[in-house]
Amino acid sequence: MSALRRFMTEIIGVLRNLFADSSARMTMIAGILVYSALYPQPFVGEVLRDVPIAVIDQDNSTESRKLLRLIDANDHVAIMAAVPNMEAARDAFFKRDVYGIVIIPAGFERNLLTGAPAPIAAFGDGSYLLVYSNIMGAVTSVARAMGVEVNLARLTDTGMDEDQARTALAPVTVTNIAVFNPQGGYASYVVPASFVLILQQTLLMGIGLLHAGRRFPTGLGMWAAPVAYIGLYLGWIAFTQLLLPAFYGIPRVGNIGTLMLIGLPFLSACTALGFALALLIPRREGVVFFLVVMGLPLFFLSGIAWPIESIPEYLHMLSLLVPSSSAISAFVAVNQMGATPKDIADAVQIQIILAFGYTLLAILIYRIKGAQHQVTGS
Amino acid sequence: MLAPMPLLIFLTLAAVFAPGLPRDLPVAVVDLDGSTLSRQLVRMVDGASDVAVTQQVPSLSEARQALIARDVYAILMIPPEMERNLFLEQSPEIVIFSNSQFLASGGAAARSMGTSVLTLAAGVSLRLLESNGVGPDRAMDLITPIPVQQSPLFNPSLDYIQFLLSAIIPTVMQIFICAAAVLSFSRERHSPGGLSNFLQQSGSAAQGIAGKLLPYTVLGTLVLLLGDVLLFTFFGADFRGNVLVFFLNGLLFILACQMLGALIAMFATSATGALGMMAVIVAPAFGFAGVSFPRFGMSGFAQAWGSIIPLTPYLELRTDQTLRGAPLQYSAPTMLWLFALLIVFTTLLWIMLHMRARAVTAGGET
Repeated sequence: MSALRRFMTEIIGVLRNLFADSSARMTMIAGILVYSALYPQPFVGEVLRDVPIAVIDQDNSTESRKLLRLIDANDHVAIMAAVPNMEAARDAFFKRDVYGIVIIPAGFERNLLTGAPAPIAAFGDGSYLLVYSNIMGAVTSVARAMGVEVNLARLTDTGMDEDQARTALAPVTVTNIAVFNPQGGYASYVVPASFVLILQQTLLMGIGLLHAGRRFPTGLGMWAAPVAYIGLYLGWIAFTQLLLPAFYGIPRVGNIGTLMLIGLPFLSACTALGFALALLIPRREGVVFFLVVMGLPLFFLSGIAWPIESIPEYLHMLSLLVPSSSAISAFVAVNQMGATPKDIADAVQIQIILAFGYTLLAILIYRIKGAQHQVTGS
Repeated sequence: MLAPMPLLIFLTLAAVFAPGLPRDLPVAVVDLDGSTLSRQLVRMVDGASDVAVTQQVPSLSEARQALIARDVYAILMIPPEMERNLFLEQSPEIVIFSNSQFLASGGAAARSMGTSVLTLAAGVSLRLLESNGVGPDRAMDLITPIPVQQSPLFNPSLDYIQFLLSAIIPTVMQIFICAAAVLSFSRERHSPGGLSNFLQQSGSAAQGIAGKLLPYTVLGTLVLLLGDVLLFTFFGADFRGNVLVFFLNGLLFILACQMLGALIAMFATSATGALGMMAVIVAPAFGFAGVSFPRFGMSGFAQAWGSIIPLTPYLELRTDQTLRGAPLQYSAPTMLWLFALLIVFTTLLWIMLHMRARAVTAGGET
């Protein structure tokens, strides 16, 4: 009983130490709170609406105006300017007033009436992929819908039954269903995943700040420090995976028990890696510098923004040495998609292997350093 | 450590994005029809370059399981009796489920499958129209009465190298350069009397700042240039702009990052504290710069915060002068803004240096 009490006193001592160190406090406490407020800001709009476009209506007919009205009514784009020619459109484009241009050539209405194809042209900004797909999605779906109406009129004019004509023109119905993030929101996509990485980086940094180039804890303290950090960060997992989504209105379906099933081994792996890094990189500044720089590259190796299948195999295997590479998508699977323990078994195993591996590595470095210490006689 | 690390990161990310576009994204098919036509559809889906049918499962629940296990990004469900119902003109419903929690991959897989289904539908439509007595030429015209000719204005292949890799490298460089400046100013800032000694030894604040930062300016410019040379030659990214303006943009960017880093060092109470403060400001810069989610879709706060980070104007001008090939007059305001940021950061640094140095000589470390 008193051993347990001594251990608890040690843990409280570790946490007190953490709060007393201004850099560690800023990284492991204040930093995460500031990130929680700041990081999601660019994405809180969730869905990109009303991408501004310019239109050039060379036909200026009832039908061309109808098409433009339908395009403007579409949620994804908004007509910002009707311009007389391509030169004016380019000008608006280079000024970033508009991100796309739709041209309705002369003869559009005549073609529609005579039954000939009536093509239109759409140009989109290829340097922003989300913007491009918004514009093209809107214009093609409006053109298709209007086309079906036009055709329907043509076929019923020839005496075909309306239902028959409708199925002949659109023989199958295609329904697109977005699963897990029904509105396709950007914050829902980026924020939960990013915070797994933010927790990893701040935990590694914090351990570096508290232990790099300093005397290592011995005895009971050697066990108390990792337990204290993991305990603190279990709280942060609850904060970032449960409270943040609620605050930003991000859908969440996860089971808390399953979340901890990946969370606990993940934090253990990070903590062990943190101690190994703190022993390897002797200067505190060095640890922080290295970790801040690695954040973005690590995100692109996690499979969220770029599919893992398109990452070269050797690079993917190498990236698995960092806990976040396999943990991020497991967290997302549990919390956003309702995955069961079986679905994330691989990732959990990797975390456990990493936790043991880095613990051994840390002990090894510690021993080697200790031996050097004795040889030099200091 | 300082110079090779950004290049190493560049090469790693280049290897990640080397395919340019995601290919063969795994998808599952639930073919409840099993007819000639449904098998043709599955072949068409598999034949598209961006998706590969890796699983054919008998039920939707199994496909859903594969979606949750992240084995596939999307599901194509073909209803029972599709072929029969098609020719009975009952308009069967084909459903595409996509994992929108992996927005980019799931979306790309769903779009590709949607295109395949529409192609198949067009073929069926043609047959149905002909069987209804519409002549083949006429039927063809009816398929797409309003064809949309779609063209990306730049980046014609919608390549990720030009779009992401080209933006990530400067983002990583911004962190490097800021951090280097933070560290070089922290030493004097956080040793007692360090700043006033530093000012005395260097003669003037301007000389002192220049002496400290110039070596990293040169180093940073060289690393950024080397990365760009690789990008535009080896990876074949488009360059349609003005070389001089592009270079000047890079130089202004690096100087602005340095001044920002040095300024942060003045505010913090220790070197590690300064690095932490820098991380809060600079690490989320990629999102604020609007590379993934465009700036015009952001809130006023996010737009304002983004505009005071050097990366934002730098990337905008970079896009202007590489992909867009925008005439210079369109880039001038952005460049002026970046220059203004540089002036403001430098002035603040100059003021802070003197204030901190005086505070120390007056007898109290802040």
